[in-house]
Amino acid sequence: MAQKSFRQALNEALHFEMGRDPRVIMMGEDLTGGAGANGVKDAWGGPFGVTRGLLDAFGPERIRDTPISEAAFIGAAAGAALTGLRPIAEIMFVDFAGVCLDQIMNQAAKFRYMFGGRAKTPLVIRATYGAGSRSGSQHTQALYPIFTHIPGLKVVIPSTPYDAKGLLLQAIRDDDPVIFLEHKMLYDTVGEVPDGAYTIPFGEARVARDGKDVLIVAIGRMVQIAEEAARKLAAEGISACIIDPRTTSPLDEDTLLEFTETIGRVVIVDEANPRCSVAADISALLADKCFDALKAPIKLVTAPHAPVPYAPNLEDAYIPSADAVAKAATSIIKR
Amino acid sequence: MPSIEAVTVPKWGMTMTEGKITQWMVGEGDLVTRGQEILEIETTKVTNVVEAAASGTLRRIVLTEGTTAPVGALAGVIADEVATPEEIDAFIESYADRLGGGDEGEGGAAVPRTIVVDGGAINLLEAGPQSDETVVLLHGFGGDLSTWLFNQSALAESMRVVAIDLPGHGASSPIAGGDIFPKIVSAVEAAVEAVAPGKLHLIAHSFGGAVAAAIAANRPSRVASLTLIAPIGLSRQISREFLVDFVAAERRRPLHSVLERLFADPSKITSDMVEGTLRFKRLEGVPEALSAIADTIADDHGGQVQSIGGQLAALTCPVTILWGERDAIVPVPQQADLPANARLRIIPGIGHMPQMEASSAVNEAILENLQRSSGI
Repeated sequence: MAQKSFRQALNEALHFEMGRDPRVIMMGEDLTGGAGANGVKDAWGGPFGVTRGLLDAFGPERIRDTPISEAAFIGAAAGAALTGLRPIAEIMFVDFAGVCLDQIMNQAAKFRYMFGGRAKTPLVIRATYGAGSRSGSQHTQALYPIFTHIPGLKVVIPSTPYDAKGLLLQAIRDDDPVIFLEHKMLYDTVGEVPDGAYTIPFGEARVARDGKDVLIVAIGRMVQIAEEAARKLAAEGISACIIDPRTTSPLDEDTLLEFTETIGRVVIVDEANPRCSVAADISALLADKCFDALKAPIKLVTAPHAPVPYAPNLEDAYIPSADAVAKAATSIIKR
Repeated sequence: MPSIEAVTVPKWGMTMTEGKITQWMVGEGDLVTRGQEILEIETTKVTNVVEAAASGTLRRIVLTEGTTAPVGALAGVIADEVATPEEIDAFIESYADRLGGGDEGEGGAAVPRTIVVDGGAINLLEAGPQSDETVVLLHGFGGDLSTWLFNQSALAESMRVVAIDLPGHGASSPIAGGDIFPKIVSAVEAAVEAVAPGKLHLIAHSFGGAVAAAIAANRPSRVASLTLIAPIGLSRQISREFLVDFVAAERRRPLHSVLERLFADPSKITSDMVEGTLRFKRLEGVPEALSAIADTIADDHGGQVQSIGGQLAALTCPVTILWGERDAIVPVPQQADLPANARLRIIPGIGHMPQMEASSAVNEAILENLQRSSGI
């Protein structure tokens, strides 16, 4: 099977679905041009190269460059979704959701509920997230807890090229607003991706690794960190299971509970800030629903409660490390 | 002359490079018999047992529990009582030299490739040295070439072995429309034609058994032997619920419980197996293709649609049929339903997946059938 990058996998999904469904359109900043490109069309393939070739294939009517105003184009995309299109809006950095939160939180997320189920909002908002790229505090946050908190939104955080393609196709075909978050540090990762189309249902966790001594729950880029930690633990004779929820809303509670029941020791790795986080949420779920199966306290390995630093050494220290995950796992096994 | 035999870390599947010794089921000095389960090894994908390749005494444990070692590494030594400790030391030392000199280098791992034939793309995995005759492995309904995880490398020691993903399975493209069974047979025949010019030894599981029987009937002069594992088309009944539930299962948990029915011991099912199955089931066109295939296997009342007894009876090559005693999908047939030229071997305590559940016994039976064909 073909090896493809995370970026290529997303690009394939966009090409496929735009070809299949004429209602799919895209809106965003620099989708067709690019800063300093002097009018060259599709100069960068979008800010991160994800939309390359779409302008040529589908034309400027369906691939629309927007002014630098998230409030305007997210609002326009939400409205377009209500009228029957299936827009994909790209926010360059999820941090910029700050200027269009009303459109997301009070409009798109509420339409179905407030119109008595008579309105559908098939809108996908794609955005990059995450630290590690030396981009400073306003371009690196992991803001999925905010969206996960809001009923009416679905929140998708792929960790592999295979999942990126299948989850994006599912997101575009979904009739509710979906926040689709792509970690900048994952774009160049490579994995097996089928050439054909496929969808991965939401609320379906992936068991990334079988193991029996400790369960590591990890999201997005943290799945890689968990895998590195699992290899370190294996060298010490500890066998770690890894579960990637893939979507935080809906959340696959059944799989998390099933594996916690069997394994009894849990470490949750989350790149987001710790307060009111997905890690805290999953931890509360497990403590509530399978307290009696727990053999040790649930350990959370997260970023500190601080903005992402710009200094490279501090930024590196900010991101949960494989060593920290392995240490947390060891601490609840050898107690 | 003392007899000294190595117990090594086996290669289970194309991506396995190392394994972890999780448990020795016998201790140093214990007597072991050929085929006895002596060692449990875990990889990131599977845990399975290694069986003794020879009878004798486990004279030395080289890799202790908890150790991780590359494929081919010496894990222990089985020898008779005549062998002196010095001879065993020398054997272990000679083994250390051998490791790394083999052809199992990092870059040498086999990868599947896809060939295009009339009827679509066929994914296949080749292993073993070039040989005039080729062993062809055909999996069952809902499976893929990874069903031969514990068999392909073992069979490929002296011959070329090609495992094929049937259309609508694994990474082969689905076939649509009517007449799906003959279309599958001709797509597989075309793929075999393209990669295996000489005589064929067909090894097939379950639904693949009907495909293999059809190929053998179409070109009897090409087929040197046939080994069928719990094939369809011989027993009268089949679990239609399994087929229907398998097609319907779109998520991990329901699929896991469907797959459990295949095994006498469901702990053999790994998350990788479930995820791998979901991956091809999710591909566009595959659920429809699987439904169409299911209809060529079972009727609405759980009766079998295919019948291969007549095709087998007409063959002159050796035909061996292996069956798990506790098969809950395709029950062991009545003796009266078997053609007279087929040898039936029932493996006790095993379900519908003998090639995974009792891989050593299956590999041995396959090799035996291969030898019968050459008249040795």
